[in-house]
Amino acid sequence: MSALIEFDHVCKYYQMGDTLVKAADHISMQINKGEFVAIVGQSGSGKSTCMNIIGCLDVPTAGTYKLNGRDVGRMSRDELAEIRNELLGFIFQQYNLLPKLSLIENVEVPLVYAGVPRGERRRRAAAALERVGLGDKLRNKPNQLSGGQQQRVSIARALAGRPAVILADEPTGALDSHTGREVLKMLQELHRQGNTVVLITHDNSIAVQAQRIIRLEDGHVVYDGDAHAPEAVVQPGCAIRTEQEESAS
Amino acid sequence: MIYETFREAVQNIWSNKFRTFLTMLGIIIGVTAVIVIVGLGNGMTQSIASSFADLGTNIISVQVMGYGSRSVKVEDVYSLVDAHPDLFEAVSPTASINSTVKVGTTSYSNTSVKGVSESYLEMSGYTVRVGRGINYVDLTDNKKICVVGDYISRVAYGGNAVGQTIKIGSEKYTIVGVLEAKVTDTSDQEGSSDDIVLLPYTTALRVSKTSTASSYAVTVTSEDNISEAKTVLENGLQELLNSDEGYMVTSMSEMLDMMTSMVNMVVTILTAIAAISLLVGGIGIMNIMMVSVTERTREIGIRKALGAKERVILGLFVTEAAATSALGGVLGIGLGYLLSALANRILPLVMSDMEMTVSPSLGSVAVAFGISVGIGVLFGYLPAKRAARLNPIEALRYD
Repeated sequence: MSALIEFDHVCKYYQMGDTLVKAADHISMQINKGEFVAIVGQSGSGKSTCMNIIGCLDVPTAGTYKLNGRDVGRMSRDELAEIRNELLGFIFQQYNLLPKLSLIENVEVPLVYAGVPRGERRRRAAAALERVGLGDKLRNKPNQLSGGQQQRVSIARALAGRPAVILADEPTGALDSHTGREVLKMLQELHRQGNTVVLITHDNSIAVQAQRIIRLEDGHVVYDGDAHAPEAVVQPGCAIRTEQEESAS
Repeated sequence: MIYETFREAVQNIWSNKFRTFLTMLGIIIGVTAVIVIVGLGNGMTQSIASSFADLGTNIISVQVMGYGSRSVKVEDVYSLVDAHPDLFEAVSPTASINSTVKVGTTSYSNTSVKGVSESYLEMSGYTVRVGRGINYVDLTDNKKICVVGDYISRVAYGGNAVGQTIKIGSEKYTIVGVLEAKVTDTSDQEGSSDDIVLLPYTTALRVSKTSTASSYAVTVTSEDNISEAKTVLENGLQELLNSDEGYMVTSMSEMLDMMTSMVNMVVTILTAIAAISLLVGGIGIMNIMMVSVTERTREIGIRKALGAKERVILGLFVTEAAATSALGGVLGIGLGYLLSALANRILPLVMSDMEMTVSPSLGSVAVAFGISVGIGVLFGYLPAKRAARLNPIEALRYD
C-alpha cells in the first residue's frame, strides 16, 4: 500500500530575531490511506507546523512532503489552493464557519471553488449535513447553533469535498467533554467508513481515540506507533529516547 | 462562481448599509454633478442653437462702416452678390431705426424696426399671414408702408393691424401686412423675432438721413458654401474700400459654432471639477475596502484553506468595490435626473426671457455609470490584491 502522506526529512525553520527556530527538524513519517492517526505534542513541539505542512498551508524549508504522490514543496500558491480544495478536508478548533452564510452555503464553499455545478453542489452539501445530523437546519446561520453543532457543520464541510485526508486541528478544544466525545465518535465513524483521518491535539486522552499516535517534541518525532501501547502515552518531560537519539549519544 | 461572488458582494453591501452609503456619497455627488452639468450644457447649446435657427444659419451678416472718405453703396453690394449666383441666393440691407414705436399713446420700446428689401421676408423665414409683404415698387417709391410681426398686431391692434397706421419716431406708416408668428408661445413673444416692424430700406435710409446702408443680410445657396461666400464678400469689400478695415463679414453658423464651443469649454471645465469628486469618492472606496479586508482577514484565511485561489479572493473584493461604486453611480444618475427635472421647473421662474432646459443625455448617463464602475475596480484593486496575497496561516490565526 503506497503512503498517502509522506514526510521525508521535512524541516521548517523560522528566523526569530537572532535565533533560528527549528519548528520541524528532519521529521520523517508516512501515513497510509485509511489510517486514523493522532499527532500529539505540547505547544512548541512542532505539531502546528506539521499540521500546516500536511494541510498544504505551508511548505517545508527543507526535505520533501508528498501528498498522494505529489511533491507539495514545489507548488505555487494557487496550486496549493487547488490541492487543499481537492485532497484535504479541514476541521478547525474554532469551527471557522463563515458567519454571514447559511449552513448549506458554508458547506458549499469548497464545492464552489472546485467548480461543482450548483444543483449537484446543493445535493452534496445537503447530504453532508444530513450525515452529521443537521439535515433540518440547512437555512440556519452558524450563530444560531451550539458549539457542538457548529463543529458538526465544519465536519460536513470537510466531507462534502470528498477529500483524501480529513485534517482535524484540536477539534474538541472549544467543546465541553460531552460534545467533544460526540465529535470524536464522529471522526471514528468516518474512519470506519474508510476515510483517512489525521487528528492534531495536545491531549493524550483524545489522542488515544486514534489508531496510531505520532508524538512530537521540539520538532522531532519521539514516538510513532500503536495508540494503545503503554509508551504511547508518556508524560511530557520524561520522554523515552528514540533509536535515533540512542545511536547519536 | 461569478454568480456566487456577485451575490456575496451584494450581501456584504446590504449588511453594511450605512457604511456603504457613506462610502458611496463621493461617487453619488460626483455623478450627480456630472449629469446636471452636462444636462445644463446641453440645454444651453440647444437654446443657443434654436435662437440661431430662428435667424437662419445660411445667413451671412455684413457690416460696412466705410473707411476714410470711401463708402460702399447699396448698389455695389447688390452687384457683388449678383456676380456670384452660384454662391448667393439673395441680399437685403438691414437698416435699423432706433426710434420708438408708438401706437396711439402706447410705446413699444422692445420692438425692433428694420429697413429691408423685398427679399428679406423669405430670407429670414417669415411668411405673410394677412395682407402683403414688401414689394419692389415700395422700394423704388420710398413708400411709407410697413409690415408688422404677430406680437404688434395682436397686442396693439387686437389682430386687425392691416390698414392701420403706426408711428415710428415722428413719421407715420401704413401697415400693409401681418407676419405669421415664429415663436409659438405667445407669452415669450415680447422682444422676440415676432416683435418687429419691417419697412422698405429706401424709406428707412431717407428717414434716418443716411446715404447708404451699413448692414446687410446675405443668404447663401448652401451652408457648405459659407466660407467661400465669406471670402468673396470680404475680397469684394476690400476692393471697394481699398482697405482691410471698415467692414466685417460674419456668418451665423460661425457665431453658432463659436458660442457652442464656448459653452462646451465651460461644461468641460465644470465637468472636470465635478470629476474630482469622483476621484475623492474612489479614494473613499479604497479606504473602506482596506478596512473591510482587515476586518475579514479570518474569512479570507478560511476561504483560502478551503481552496480559494488568489484570483477568487481578488474577484470577491474587486466585485464588492465595483458594486458599491456602481450603486453609487446609479443613485447619482437618479439624483441627477431629479435635480434636472427640478431645475426645469425653477429656471423658467428665474429667467423668464430665456428658453432653457436641463436635458441630461443618455451618453452622459452611460459614461457616468461606466466611470463609477471603473473607479470601483481601479480603487478596489489595491485592497483586493492585499487580501489575495494574505498568508493563509496568519489569516486563520487573526482575531
